[in-house]
Amino acid sequence: MIEARGLTKVFRRADKPPGLAASVRHLVRPRYAEHTAVAGIDLSIGAGEAVAYVGPNGAGKSTTVKMLTGIVHPTAGEIRVCGLDPHRNRHANARNIGVLFGQRTQLWWDLPVRDSLALLRDIYRIPERRYRARLDELEPVLGLAGLLPVLARKLSLGQRMRADLAAALLHDPRVVYLDEPTIGLDVTARDAMRGFLRDLRRTGTTLMITTHDLGDIEEVCDRIVILDAGRIIYDGPVTAIKDRLARDRAVHFTLADACPGVDLSTDLPGSRTVAGEDERRVSVVFDRFVHGAGDVLAAMARHARVVDLSIDEPSIDDVVRRVYAGAIGDALPDRVR
Amino acid sequence: MRAHHRTLTRLAWGTVLAYRADFVLQLLGVAVQTVAVIAVWRVVTAGGTGSAAGLTWDQLKAYLLIAFATGTLMSGFTDWQLAERVLSGNVALELVKPVDYQLARFAEALGYVAGEVVVVLAMGTVLLVAFGGVPVPGGAQAVLFLISLLAVIPLKFGLIYLSGMACFWTESYYGVGVARVAVTNILSGALVPIALYPDWLQALCRLSPFPGIVSTPALVFLGEVGVAEAVRLIAWQFVWIAVLWLGARTVWRLAVTRFSAHGG
Amino acid sequence: MREAAALARIYLRMLLGYVRAVLEYRTDALILVLASVLTQLAGIVFLTTVFAQVPALGDWQRWEVIWIFAMVVLAEGIGSLCFEGTWHLALYINLGGLDYLMVRPYPVALQVMGSTLGPNGFSNAVLGLALLGVAATRVDVDWGPVTVGWAVLLMLSGVLVKLAISLASNTTAFWLRSPSSSPAGTVHTLGDLARYPITVYSTGVRAVLVVIPLAFVGYFPAASLFGKGTAGTIGAFTPLVAAACIAGAWAYFRAGMRRYDSVGN
Repeated sequence: MIEARGLTKVFRRADKPPGLAASVRHLVRPRYAEHTAVAGIDLSIGAGEAVAYVGPNGAGKSTTVKMLTGIVHPTAGEIRVCGLDPHRNRHANARNIGVLFGQRTQLWWDLPVRDSLALLRDIYRIPERRYRARLDELEPVLGLAGLLPVLARKLSLGQRMRADLAAALLHDPRVVYLDEPTIGLDVTARDAMRGFLRDLRRTGTTLMITTHDLGDIEEVCDRIVILDAGRIIYDGPVTAIKDRLARDRAVHFTLADACPGVDLSTDLPGSRTVAGEDERRVSVVFDRFVHGAGDVLAAMARHARVVDLSIDEPSIDDVVRRVYAGAIGDALPDRVR
Repeated sequence: MRAHHRTLTRLAWGTVLAYRADFVLQLLGVAVQTVAVIAVWRVVTAGGTGSAAGLTWDQLKAYLLIAFATGTLMSGFTDWQLAERVLSGNVALELVKPVDYQLARFAEALGYVAGEVVVVLAMGTVLLVAFGGVPVPGGAQAVLFLISLLAVIPLKFGLIYLSGMACFWTESYYGVGVARVAVTNILSGALVPIALYPDWLQALCRLSPFPGIVSTPALVFLGEVGVAEAVRLIAWQFVWIAVLWLGARTVWRLAVTRFSAHGG
Repeated sequence: MREAAALARIYLRMLLGYVRAVLEYRTDALILVLASVLTQLAGIVFLTTVFAQVPALGDWQRWEVIWIFAMVVLAEGIGSLCFEGTWHLALYINLGGLDYLMVRPYPVALQVMGSTLGPNGFSNAVLGLALLGVAATRVDVDWGPVTVGWAVLLMLSGVLVKLAISLASNTTAFWLRSPSSSPAGTVHTLGDLARYPITVYSTGVRAVLVVIPLAFVGYFPAASLFGKGTAGTIGAFTPLVAAACIAGAWAYFRAGMRRYDSVGN
């Protein structure tokens, strides 16, 4: 479905100090600063795969997606999406792909959702019968009926995301790119979105998701590609890397009284107790495959009176950081026991 | 003026400096209109040798340059800033402050006027060089002119402030702003001396506050009106300043009632 | 050809889709219509007063001048009625809105241009056409099938020139990267100068109106129609100028898209 070889993108920014004199000088002898956003990526994604594409901000994720969708032309390398060069055949490629940028909407702001979808029907030249059938297919999973008469600017974030997803899937694309599809959603809306994406996969649609949310990755994807500084530093099964590197969970306690020197490592073997910013705060870091959060709370309750607590799930950023810090050898699938 | 008013004026002046390119470009409209209108009138007065409506080419030129100056003063950021406060809902923040909102906005507008004075002097010089000099009045006439010119500032403020409040009832200011400029152009005598209008239109102008913006200072400058008539016209300017200032307070109270009822 | 028809049909659907949004802000639309009528009224009051003083502006008779004025009003009207989105290009570029447009099977420039609709365009177009209609009966032209056809072609060319100028001046936003469309607004403001015969201006101003081809919106085509010597001869080339302007603006837009590609966000 998606084949990329040696994909590279170098941006050229005018190296121009502010001020009129500098602008004039720039006109005479332009100088540019080059910035390599993506540095030679090879990627091969088959039909029906769901791939998480992750990495720290500025790693080149969105530039890759922009190249794969045809928005941006690669400086070097080859891309084929469904057999087409996405930039050269932008319009033909557009019919094969669906795109959702979670932080932006493609709906017409001042129009009811129904009118936006009708406009997209016209733009994609979807026959009326096919269009109605598609809306019927999307209705039960996205709950569109209630959204259709609402102006886009009056939708809640979760509703907006559902309507935008319908807009991205209207022409029944074979490849769908999702950029932060659950960002800003509440727990219920997030679960619904992930459920929908799983169903979408089952229909044979290829998914590529860029996200910072480990839940999105765990629940929707089976393959993860980690990017750093424009290069792929890991490409393999999600389970392998997650079990290996995303084990640590942390519980942050606020205690009723100062409790210096409290240590749960004897109660919970393998855990670490870390002092917080004052003597009433303390954090316990533990392996989520060995202990549960309940065990940690119970153990702490034996030592001190707990006023408040919060739990930190391992984040994909931690995973990426650890991969980058050299844990990558351990993370390779064949080394996982 | 109290201390916080001086601060507001200074802040507005700072805005002018920070956005000087946008500020000047916004004022370009009046300058371009002036170029077109002066050029047309030059042809009408047979290339500057004849006269129209009893005004010589030099007098007409002076008239239109005054129209340019008063058209530019209090026009750049004032109305958009007023409208923006209402449309964004930030006006709610002002309501809880222990300051007179209208007076505060006037203080702010004076900061923009300072920027506009600079623009008027610069562009006015260019226009004078392009079209040639004009006769300058002296003595009592000059004093009266300065008074009527200064009166333009609070007078225009009243009109702009009122039109900006239209945003309590609309979603955007663009149309209101354009309509205000168009009505001002017709009724103030900015494009042609009012005396050239048919009688009914002249009567309509005289009943409105608009001639006080252009026609009054321009006619006083040209000495087209005697001292007694000049004093009468200037008094009329001040009557309108008072009416608009108090009227704006009434509309403001209505708007705020509505604003609180609708929650913005 | 069939493809062009399909593109045009989709474009029309986009515009019609937006009519609903205009109705959503009915008060604002009405104010905008009223404002544009008042603006044109100010121009008409000015011209009427001027022609109460003199029968002609140099070579140009009263109704010939009104013809120029009306052509500009018509071009501005059609511009805001059908291509108002052009003015949103800077916003699209700077808020990342182009990305979605680029993954749809429809030309990006047309999607931007058709993304909104200016209700004031309606009144301006109607007013411009009405003025042209009245002026047509008062000017010294022998109306026959050929002259009518030529006049219509000149009008359409003028509209296209104005459209090309709007597109090109807004396209500058690709290089400026600021969400306001100041340079385009400045060019549009200069358009006020082109409402009158450019013979009233000094050489410098005339040169500006020829270089930024605003004079080809109303003045030159009218000069051709009314047979005004050299200006009329130049005016006969208005359709070619229009084609060149559109091609140039389109190419400039494509250069802007390449720039967007190479600079990144």
